[in-house]
Amino acid sequence: MFELRGRRKRLLLTGISVLLVIPFIVPLYTMVYTSFQGRGIDNYKAALQLPGFWTYFRNSLLIAVATIAICYFLTMAASFGFSKLRIRSKEVYFWLMMGALTMPEVVLLTPMLMMAQKTGIGGTLWSVIIPLAAMQIPFTTLLTRSYVDGIPDSLFEAARIDGAGTWRQFWSILVPLAKPMGMAIIVLVLINSWNAYLLPLVLLPGEGQQVVSQLPMNFKARYTDDQPKVLAGATLAALPEIIAYVCLQKQFERGMAAGAIK
Amino acid sequence: MAITVKSPAASSAGSGRRSGGAAKRRYHGVPAGMTWVLPGFVMAVGVIYFCIGYTGYVSLLPWNWRPPKEEVVEGLGNFARAFSTPLFWECLKHTLIFFIAVYLVQTVMGIVFAAIMHSRVYCSVIFKILIFVPVVVAPAIMSPVHRRVFAVDGPLNWILAHLGFLHADPTGKNPAWNGWFQWVLDHIGLSSVSPNWIQPSTALWVVIGIQIWSSIGMAFILFFAAMGQIDPEVLEAARIDGAGNIRVLVSVIIPQLKPTIVSLAVLNAITALKLFDYPYLVTTGGPANASQFLGTYIYSEMFEKGGRFGYAASMSMLLLVLAIGVSIIMTVMSRERKPEEVKV
Repeated sequence: MFELRGRRKRLLLTGISVLLVIPFIVPLYTMVYTSFQGRGIDNYKAALQLPGFWTYFRNSLLIAVATIAICYFLTMAASFGFSKLRIRSKEVYFWLMMGALTMPEVVLLTPMLMMAQKTGIGGTLWSVIIPLAAMQIPFTTLLTRSYVDGIPDSLFEAARIDGAGTWRQFWSILVPLAKPMGMAIIVLVLINSWNAYLLPLVLLPGEGQQVVSQLPMNFKARYTDDQPKVLAGATLAALPEIIAYVCLQKQFERGMAAGAIK
Repeated sequence: MAITVKSPAASSAGSGRRSGGAAKRRYHGVPAGMTWVLPGFVMAVGVIYFCIGYTGYVSLLPWNWRPPKEEVVEGLGNFARAFSTPLFWECLKHTLIFFIAVYLVQTVMGIVFAAIMHSRVYCSVIFKILIFVPVVVAPAIMSPVHRRVFAVDGPLNWILAHLGFLHADPTGKNPAWNGWFQWVLDHIGLSSVSPNWIQPSTALWVVIGIQIWSSIGMAFILFFAAMGQIDPEVLEAARIDGAGNIRVLVSVIIPQLKPTIVSLAVLNAITALKLFDYPYLVTTGGPANASQFLGTYIYSEMFEKGGRFGYAASMSMLLLVLAIGVSIIMTVMSRERKPEEVKV
């Protein structure tokens, strides 16, 4: 946006950017630097050798995969229905769904605790997957519906004339054409479910069911004030996300940008 | 692309009307779609509305009701209790301060970074990654790091000491401002600010600072995308008319970013209302409730004060009403402003 003539000006603006970016580096640098203090790499070895270390990651992964699968398919199907199929008074259903758009998580806590106890899903990963998916479907449906509205109806008509059933139209037209939106949904739901803290904290208190976001705090409880070990744990917990982001920058930025606009 | 920057109100309402009309015209031949919508509808509406209903019911039970106990509906006492509790209003005040501070800094810095990254700086990809990584990493994972950053012997005070603001003692445990800086603080009415950050007078600002750190990247990405859609010819024309860089930014670019600035306000308001992770994990709402927010207050009433689920539920309902109210008001406001924006 700024017009820069010549090398000197470009270098000057780069210098300003470096200064502005310093506050962003400080916490990241602190995390890595502190985690090597004292016993160096042994802090990491201690963290990795903690019994059940990998179950945090496994649980987070299972929750993320299940939530993504549920959100993806239900959103795609619902958007297809709302946008391209015949439903009597569909706007009523749509706005009922949009009524659930801005849900503070605390509203879910007591009911989910009761539900979990009564139905026997208490203490299983499902007790987190279900509210996580339910909270995100209204929003992903809002996004995807307006995207699918932009796909011409004539494509579906043509397919119908050629004898394609609804099922076929969904798989062969809608899913491929809505792929960019699908990626955005996957990233958005992945981040939201991987980073979720409050719901797992309340609904999965048991040892062996905990998720990555709880890892640093559990380290803190175990090592009291051994900062280097706690931050070694935090670094390990943050690493998968940072690597995933650096590898898939475009997708992450698009997904998060889509999620920012309600 | 539909998923980049686009006003939600305009897109959803407009498209809804469009496809509704289209469906009426060609109702015959279009297959029925209820079965396609139903699973998502049941999942979202079923679970969420059940939870709202149940929380609403619990809010009418005695304030110290706990899940396994007998249930006797008591009435609206819990709401009266919330309204007459100073801490409840205190939380709202913190939420408002948090919203204003985070929103201002995030918008200004987001625009600055986006403008810089659209210019031809060196290594812009690295800057972009550094700014956006805080958005991606879980708040819960970063909070022990932030506790370390703001510790009395932490990196922040180390930097301040090297810049000459702090008089660091050799142990690093009792840092104090240098004389001249204390004098400045005294004269701008901030004499209670001390380099011991997690204390009543500064804890809220620590939480605000952390949130700014982790959300500028979001504003940056939104503004970056919005700036990418500005017609280069408009910029060219302004330049030919003799406008400098700053002038172009203020008079040409920023007016075109209005829709993004409005939707950031909605996003920030909702985030401020829902806030839980950072205040709970970095300051635990304290010290002395100085950084208590509605989320942390409700949580502590539920799980740390022996289970006051009834009272907590009433505050959850108030929070829900606030969140829905704020998003409706802001959406309506942004829609009313639409026509002038198009002209810009």
